[in-house]
Amino acid sequence: MQAVILAAGEGTRMRPLTFTRPKVVLPIANRPILEHLFFSLKDAEINRVVLVVGYRDETIRDHFGEAWNGIEVEYANQRRQLGTADALKSASHLLEEEFLMMNGDAIVGAEDIRKIAERSGFALAVKEVPNPEEFGVVECEGRLVRNIVEKPEKPKSNLINAGIYRFSKEILEFVEKTPQSIRGEYEITTSIKMAIESGIEFEAVEIDEWIDIGFPWDLLKANSFFLSKIESRIDGEVEEGAHLIGDIIVGEGSVVKSGSYIEGPAVIGKNCKIGPNCYIRPSTSIGDGCHIGAAVEIKNSIIMNGTKIPHLSYLGDSIIGEKCNFGAGTKIANLRLDDKNIMVNVKNRVIDTRLRKFGAVVGDNVRTGINVTINVGTMIGDNVFIAPGAKVDGYVERNSKVF
Amino acid sequence: MCGIVGYIGFRQGDQVVISSLKRLEYRGYDSWGYAVANGKEIEIKKKVGSISAVEVKEKRAEGVTVSIGHTRWATHGKPSDINAHPHTDCDEEIAVVHNGIITNFSSLKNELISEGHIFRSETDTEVIPHLIERCYKDSKSFEEAVIKAIKFLKGSYAFVALKKDEKKLIACKYKSPLILGVGDGELIFASDVPAILEYTNRVIYLNDGDIVIAEPGKYRIINERGEVVRDIELIHWSIEDAEKSGYEHFMLKEINENPRVIEDTLGEYVTDKIELDPSFAAGISEIVIVACGTSYHAGLIGKYVIEKLAGIPVRVEYASEYNYHQIIPGRSLILGITQSGETADTLEALRAAKRMGLRTCSIVNVVGSTATKISDHVLFTRAGPEISVAATKSFIAQLIVLYIIAIKLSPLTRQEKKELIEELKSLPEKVQRILDKQHDIDEIAKKLSNFENIMYIGRGLGFPTALEGALKMKEISYIHAEGYPAGELKHGPFALLGENTPVVAVINRDETYEIMLNNIKEVKARESLVIAVSDDKDEEVDNFVDFAIKTPETLPILSPILHSVAFQLLAYFTARIRGCEIDKPRNLAKSVTVE
Repeated sequence: MQAVILAAGEGTRMRPLTFTRPKVVLPIANRPILEHLFFSLKDAEINRVVLVVGYRDETIRDHFGEAWNGIEVEYANQRRQLGTADALKSASHLLEEEFLMMNGDAIVGAEDIRKIAERSGFALAVKEVPNPEEFGVVECEGRLVRNIVEKPEKPKSNLINAGIYRFSKEILEFVEKTPQSIRGEYEITTSIKMAIESGIEFEAVEIDEWIDIGFPWDLLKANSFFLSKIESRIDGEVEEGAHLIGDIIVGEGSVVKSGSYIEGPAVIGKNCKIGPNCYIRPSTSIGDGCHIGAAVEIKNSIIMNGTKIPHLSYLGDSIIGEKCNFGAGTKIANLRLDDKNIMVNVKNRVIDTRLRKFGAVVGDNVRTGINVTINVGTMIGDNVFIAPGAKVDGYVERNSKVF
Repeated sequence: MCGIVGYIGFRQGDQVVISSLKRLEYRGYDSWGYAVANGKEIEIKKKVGSISAVEVKEKRAEGVTVSIGHTRWATHGKPSDINAHPHTDCDEEIAVVHNGIITNFSSLKNELISEGHIFRSETDTEVIPHLIERCYKDSKSFEEAVIKAIKFLKGSYAFVALKKDEKKLIACKYKSPLILGVGDGELIFASDVPAILEYTNRVIYLNDGDIVIAEPGKYRIINERGEVVRDIELIHWSIEDAEKSGYEHFMLKEINENPRVIEDTLGEYVTDKIELDPSFAAGISEIVIVACGTSYHAGLIGKYVIEKLAGIPVRVEYASEYNYHQIIPGRSLILGITQSGETADTLEALRAAKRMGLRTCSIVNVVGSTATKISDHVLFTRAGPEISVAATKSFIAQLIVLYIIAIKLSPLTRQEKKELIEELKSLPEKVQRILDKQHDIDEIAKKLSNFENIMYIGRGLGFPTALEGALKMKEISYIHAEGYPAGELKHGPFALLGENTPVVAVINRDETYEIMLNNIKEVKARESLVIAVSDDKDEEVDNFVDFAIKTPETLPILSPILHSVAFQLLAYFTARIRGCEIDKPRNLAKSVTVE
């Protein structure tokens, strides 16, 4: 069966990480979000994928090419992100008679995909959640969908739309007639409601494993979830005197030097230099070509490719982009002294992470001088220089210098 | 300048072409047209007017569609339904959209007519489909016919051709811009990036001599040496940025187009000598230039130049004041200067002159505009569409035409004329050198941006240059800037000088040089900040001023062109620092069509 995956948006809530790449290629356990979805698709025997791409699509094309592990990959261009219905329209010339459609930034289990693929006609995946008012709520009559209400104040059910659909090509007739929503987008849920009104039956299929990734800290949760499933594999070199405890992957060409103490689950990419004498704590993913040096402690974090944290640093509950270089003694705080939730500035809006421990989100190519202090909940854009001894807080614009 | 588009892919072709052309409207907007090859025939639609309001009905595309489109900025032949592109061969089996100028079209056209080809339009473009038709008779394929046909063409071209029964587009590029957008299962040709970004951001910038054969989902590029491979580049601009070629404002984009504009305008009138029929000025006793705004300043510079080179008296009148003067009908030539050809006051002055039986001529940028219809003679500038309200490249193009008139009408020897022409031809490169160092001007703009009054001064040719420099500054930066003859300062404006009023001085290395330096000394004594624009061989000036903008050395008579480009940048950067709405200054419109 064919799956259409929407991967054209930037994912602006993931800034600063998405200034340089689309959200769907952000790494979780050293694999792009989208690749986790591809594994599920493969296990569910989906053999043809249409990726609807747009923003910085070269990163997606470079990773998946024209085929991935036996799945044929085709691309449709959606240069302007005008909504999910518009995205489907831009792939309309590649569609089979029946197909699945899903978002590229949510990860679904293979069994769940299989469940919905095995239905006939039209279906829509629903998921039970405790906070339905933050999603599109699905109202059902028996197994059939009656309505979808976006973020209702008083939800009539706790089933939400998981954004996974089974369609036949007939849906295009409704997609073409879909008017713009109040948000100014052409939304597939509007098309679906129009189809239901005209008498088409949509079956609601409840799914279990669904990881929706909205904000940067959701990446850490997903990272921790996928790391919990790994099994140890050492393809690189581990020197005598290094301690590896729990499930740990060490990639090809990487060296873990003596005195390093690593508590799994953790994954270390290819060609990394780890240690000597560093402390890597659970739920940490370190990309390819990284250097984690002496007296560095890292906990529950994602460090992307090519980043160097060589001396005397602490970072916890943080996400660090590619090709960053931290000066000796750079530290990221992850806990407020008053123990309150960490607040973060996303898209110029202050958001409660509902986390007691959260560090910083650092874009690509950020360089810090020695003894830089980064406060909890700090967002740092890409290409930022931070002078020695500076204290950084709040939101730092991309390409800026901090003194 | 025109905009062309060609599309082959799975989308509804006419719709793609229309929406892409709208993104090229800045390249031309006097008429539009498109053609779709449906396998049996070519459906063509073309019309006078702007493409911006055109919509086509949406229908589900079935299979591969092949279409081409064009938005026109007339050069040969007025804007009309017939002259709009696409153009076809005799049997309407081949259609072509073209950007560029086929310089040998009239001889080709005569030849083709004598062979029995039937032409419908006045355009140079129409020779292309007829040539392809002629070559197709003894070719094995459509592409072979096109390759044979382009061997006859001289001039510049970027064109895309289709044939009624082929799922194929053939595109050729020579000295006019053409890019190929490589989408997923679709290909789109266009004059510029904004047209394709809706569909793909993967672009091939074609080289001169490239011929592209595009078929569903695949393409080949060949040149005279055989098949070639061109790199695909990724464009990260938004569609809006791309319309300005990545520049922050249209004004900056247009200032940066000055070298090409000078080249194109010279190309219109100059080979190794000046190709201009002087009969429009035969037997005249004086020239009266009528114009408004920036065009008026071009006229003032024209006065100095024409009087000096040709010895013909020139008066320059504000078009809005012309009707209040008593002009005695005689052997005067009324020369209107208007970028748009629609400036109400200038049109009224031309009409009044006509009523009095005077001869009229216009320097105009827009082909087919009213001024071109009511004047006895028209000289076109080749600046292309100007979007920014503040005139920049069109002003430079007007100056070029005025220099050409002056040289043509002058009694100079052939050798002296040749030297002037050679120097004119070196200006694009010299302007480019100013543009390459625009950062330096940005630095000086930082000094000026905090003041609320600026005095621009000059002598001789430097005086009208100062007037135009001041106009640019006030219209976009909202700083009160005034142009003044340097020698007049002590008759009043000296009272305004002091540390709150910086002075921008135009230094020309001619007979005014020494006395200008003296004037600057007097200004400096009043503690004004002094910024000079001079040429890069002038080291002495540095001893007299706070900052100097240095332009490449040229003949003193041509210096207003280089100094004006520097002033355009100075105004632009000052306005940018002050956060002004640069392309659309408050209270101003691009062309003033009311009196």
